[in-house]
Amino acid sequence: MQAKRSKANLWETLKSKYAIFLVLVVLFVICSLLNKNFLTWNNLTNISRQISVTTILAFGETLLIISGLLDLSNSSVLAFAGTLSVMAYKANGSMLLAILVSIAVAVFCNALNALMTTTFKAPAFIVTLAMQTMARGAALLLTAGQNVYQIGDYTILGQGSVWIIPTPILFMIFFFLVTRYILNDTRFGRSLYAIGGNEAAANASGIAVNKVKTGAYLINGVMVGMAAVLFMSRVNAGLPNGAQGYETEALTTAIIGGTSFTGGIGTAGGTIVGAFIIGFLNNIMNLTSVNSYLQQIIKGLIIALAVIYDIYAKNKRTRKKMGNIEDKQQAA
Amino acid sequence: MKKVLSLILVLALALACSFALAEDASYRVAYIARAQADSFAAWLANAVKEEADKYPDITVDVFDGQANDETENSLIENAITNQYDCIIIQPNNGEAQRPYAEQVVAAGIVCITTNARIDGVEGASSVDADPYEQAAVNARLALEMVPENATAVILRGPAGNFHADKRYEAWQTEFFEKRPDVKVVGDDYANWNKDEAMALMEDWVTANEQPIGLIASMNDNMAAGALEVVKDNPDYANVLTFGVDGTAEACLLIQEGRMTATCLQNAYELAELLLDTAHKLLTGEETEINTDVGNPLYTKDNVQELYDIHVQAGALE
Repeated sequence: MQAKRSKANLWETLKSKYAIFLVLVVLFVICSLLNKNFLTWNNLTNISRQISVTTILAFGETLLIISGLLDLSNSSVLAFAGTLSVMAYKANGSMLLAILVSIAVAVFCNALNALMTTTFKAPAFIVTLAMQTMARGAALLLTAGQNVYQIGDYTILGQGSVWIIPTPILFMIFFFLVTRYILNDTRFGRSLYAIGGNEAAANASGIAVNKVKTGAYLINGVMVGMAAVLFMSRVNAGLPNGAQGYETEALTTAIIGGTSFTGGIGTAGGTIVGAFIIGFLNNIMNLTSVNSYLQQIIKGLIIALAVIYDIYAKNKRTRKKMGNIEDKQQAA
Repeated sequence: MKKVLSLILVLALALACSFALAEDASYRVAYIARAQADSFAAWLANAVKEEADKYPDITVDVFDGQANDETENSLIENAITNQYDCIIIQPNNGEAQRPYAEQVVAAGIVCITTNARIDGVEGASSVDADPYEQAAVNARLALEMVPENATAVILRGPAGNFHADKRYEAWQTEFFEKRPDVKVVGDDYANWNKDEAMALMEDWVTANEQPIGLIASMNDNMAAGALEVVKDNPDYANVLTFGVDGTAEACLLIQEGRMTATCLQNAYELAELLLDTAHKLLTGEETEINTDVGNPLYTKDNVQELYDIHVQAGALE
């Protein structure tokens, strides 16, 4: 009897705490049944490679959203930093320099975002929207709107592999570990949650709010800079108009992964799960040749259902907790 | 702080306006580009600016429609208010810009529509390349080259885009209706983008055991994306790939033997004709001109000509 109850409890815990992970597992099983090619190594690496750039952007976005900020400029900054990086590589031939250029440009743009949101108290939404326009304009101005070709071995990071694992996937895993470490094991990470949960309380408790917010933007800059190199090397060109719409994808990924848009809640694990949910959906619909108009409807519907289920499961858990507290209070 | 910022903004605006007024030429031409973020549109806008330098009596100002009908229409209205002598419209969506092109004519301003032309605007002129024919020349070549019972994928431009739709129509009419043996295993929108085409192609390659024999792409950028996916795959050594635009990248791919053909939409030729047309209309030499550039097809046999064009333009080294 007790074994039965503990099994039921375990299932309830799994359902409430790891709801979004369960959605991913169910989706994975369904996809495997729908198409025999889904479960092949080639296909799974394809999916991981396809989501790697937006997932890295989503990790940066997760840090920002948790602290009550956001970044709408990451796609344009990616195009600007990536194009400059390609140009630096063509001029110099050094991959290290190209990476540094990309990261430096992206960090600089994010430093401006941080300055505007902390010093001038401008809303992050507007500031990063302005940066989105400026960075895209700068990329187009720099290249006169033309793609940069003949980039030689620049492609090595985006198209290469270490053993059988494509390099972009390794970078995605690396940034997952970095984000997880920051959020779980550092004071900075705890400060992000505190600021996102209640900024006034965080301030009163001695957290240097502006410094933490600036730090979040700078880390986001590093991630955007690296994503830019991976993107340009994957497409084998410097594309000043590339990555359009990636900011929405990165936001969606983080939100599906359970990051609360109101701040204070979110995990690196959730974000990567969100990325795979989107990746699996896109992939299976292409593998099964679903009509492209229908794809958009199905994708939107499943994303909405996944998020609603996640919220429902979390609310249920909160209600249960509150119930337990009340029971204990009554017992006392 | 707010006052200082406002003052700086007003001064900057005044300075910008004074620079604009300082430029003096007999004829002022407004070129309303579809979207400067679109690499072909940007190429054309740059070519128009370069070509204008050859006309001492013409100054061209380029405005960016940002692939947005509302923005583009506002820019046309502004140009009318600003009393330009000639307004060249590269529509984002011909039907959405039609009433505004008519307003240009009604205001007594020379109106030229280009890439693509807006048909039937009384009193307006046009310089264009025919999007149907651009894809049709590819499709006709494919008729001869694609083996029997091959599989094909189609990469489309943005839904509702005039050029994307016309090119798609040409492929359907000139190729797929005539070759029912060819099975389409993938047909989707990559919105002119290389990265979106790559993701689609990766999935299509996985989904199909029989190697895809034909990539019918509505532009070169997407064709290059699809080829990027299969470049190291020996099963795809003979895949036939067709695109439109004649970009520098397509030129290199044809040279390497990886891409089959591209139809050049020559921005320089369009720009040359546009300025020539504008000049003739402005000086009263002609009252209405409707003309087209050619749709030259480049394969490995004549790709050197395309290469020379790009080298001359500085797009290739």
